[in-house]
Amino acid sequence: MTGYNLKIENVVASTKLAESFDLTKIEIEFEGAEYNKQKFPGLVYRVSDPKAAFLVFTSGKVVCTGAKNVNDVHTVIKNMAKKLNSIGVETVPNPDITVQNIVASADLHAVLNLNAIAIGLGLENIEYEPEQFPGLVYRIDEPKVVVLIFSSGKLVVTGGKSPEDCEQGVEVVRQQLDSMGLL
Amino acid sequence: MVEVERTRYSETSEREKMRAMIKARKEKEKTDDTEKPEVICPECESRSLEHDYERAELVCADCGLVVDAEFVDEGPEWRAFDHDQRMKRSRVGAPMTYTIHDKGLSTMIDWRNRDSYGKSISSKNRAQLYRLRKWQRRIRVSNATERNLAFALSELDRMASALGLPRTVRETAAVVYRKAVDKNLIRGRSIEGVAAAALYAACRQCSVPRTLDEIGEVSRVSRKEIGRTYRFISRELSLKLMPTSPIDYVPRFCSGLQLKGEVQSKSVEILRQASEKELTSGRGPTGVAAAAIYIASILCGDRRTQREVADVAGVTEVTIRNRYKELAEELDIEIIL
Repeated sequence: MTGYNLKIENVVASTKLAESFDLTKIEIEFEGAEYNKQKFPGLVYRVSDPKAAFLVFTSGKVVCTGAKNVNDVHTVIKNMAKKLNSIGVETVPNPDITVQNIVASADLHAVLNLNAIAIGLGLENIEYEPEQFPGLVYRIDEPKVVVLIFSSGKLVVTGGKSPEDCEQGVEVVRQQLDSMGLL
Repeated sequence: MVEVERTRYSETSEREKMRAMIKARKEKEKTDDTEKPEVICPECESRSLEHDYERAELVCADCGLVVDAEFVDEGPEWRAFDHDQRMKRSRVGAPMTYTIHDKGLSTMIDWRNRDSYGKSISSKNRAQLYRLRKWQRRIRVSNATERNLAFALSELDRMASALGLPRTVRETAAVVYRKAVDKNLIRGRSIEGVAAAALYAACRQCSVPRTLDEIGEVSRVSRKEIGRTYRFISRELSLKLMPTSPIDYVPRFCSGLQLKGEVQSKSVEILRQASEKELTSGRGPTGVAAAAIYIASILCGDRRTQREVADVAGVTEVTIRNRYKELAEELDIEIIL
C-alpha cells in the first residue's frame, strides 16, 4: 500500500445478534462447533471462505476473529446470521458491528539498531527488554496503537480500530526513525 | 536604509543574547555558592579557615574573624570515661537503612534486667519490664501495611543473600520497593513478585545485572511473573533503565568458568566490535555474552565447551552456536578448532 508491505493480519469485531442464545442447541446443529461450559463460557465456531472464527455467548453477543479485512468481517457475520436463522434461531436484522482491534504487519526494509532507537524514542515511551522479548514495544498516543519494532526492520502494529490507524502508526514510526537518521 | 536598520537590529539582538548568557552564568554561580559551605573569609577573603573543635568555632587563620560558632561536631566522640567508651568513640547507633521496615530507627528494650546504673532490677519490677519489652517488640510493626513491608524487605534480603548481592544493591532494591508501595503498585500483585522485580531492577540500576532466571531460582515466583511485574513497575515508576549490555555479564560468567583475565578482556573487545556492527540489537544479552566468551576462550587457547559456557550463562547450546556463527562471520574471526 505505502511501500512497507502493510498487511492486515487479523481483525477482531464484536456485535450483538440476539438477546440470548441457546448454545447447546447451536452446538448440536452446527458441525464443528465447540462448546464446553467448564473450559470457556462461549461457543467456538470456525468458518472457512472467508476464514474466520466465532465466539458466541449466551448473552447474544458474538465476537468474530481471524478475518483478514474489515469487509470480510461484515460478510462473515451476515453469513453467520443466515445460518443461525436456518436452524430456527432468531437474530437481529441489522446488527451493529464494531471493530475492536486490528493487527497488521509491515516492513521498513532496513536493519535497525534497537539500542539506539530505544534511546532516541526516549526510555519512558518504550519498552525494550532483549532478555524477555527481542522486539521493541512502542506505544503511540496518536493514533492509539502499539508498534512492535524488530531489528530486522519488520513491524507489527496492533490495537488500531481502523486500517488507517495502522497506516498512520507505521508512518509515525517511519518519520521518527528517519528524523533520528536510524533508518 | 533598510539594510542599516537590519544590521543594527541584529546587533542589538546579538548583544541582548550575550547579556542574557552572562546573567545566566552569574545566577548559576550564585546558586553554586549557596550549595557549597563558604570556604572564604568574608572579611579578608583568605581561604585558610580553621575549625576549632574545642570552642566549636570556625575561625579565619589570617585575620581572626569568627565565621561560624557553635557548629555541630561531626567527628568521633573525643570524651571517654572508661575503656569501653574509648574503644567505641561513637555518638550514634547503626546507620539508617531502607532494608529494615522502620529504617532501623527503632527503640529496643535491653534484654538484661539492669537499670541505667547497672544495678539489677528487683523481681517485683521484672514482670513489668518483661511485659514492656514484649509490647515494645509488638509495637514495632504497627499495622498491616507495615507488616507487609517488613515481610517484603525480609524477602528481599533473603533473595539478595542467596544471590550474594552487595549492600548497595539491597538498599536500591528496598528503595524501589518502597516507591512501588507509595504508588500503590502492589495492589493486585504478589508481594514476592514485586520484591523479586524490585531486586531485578536494582541489580540493573547498579549495573550488576542478574538474569531473570537467576532471580527466579531464589524467589518463589516464576520468571515470567517477575518479568511482567518488572515491566509494570519500571513503566509506572519510570525507572528509565537502559537495556542491559552483554558486557556487564562477562566478568561474572568468566569467573564462573574460571577463565583468565585475558579471556575476559578479549570477550569485552569482541562485544564492543559486535555492538558497533549492530549484532547485539534484538538479541538476548546473555546469549551474545556467552558466545563472545566461547570465542575468546578458543582464541586464548583456554577452551571451554559450548555446554560449559551454556550452563554458566543460562542459555542453550543452540543459542551459543547461532550467536557464535553471526559473530565469527561479521567480525571476520578465524577459529581453528
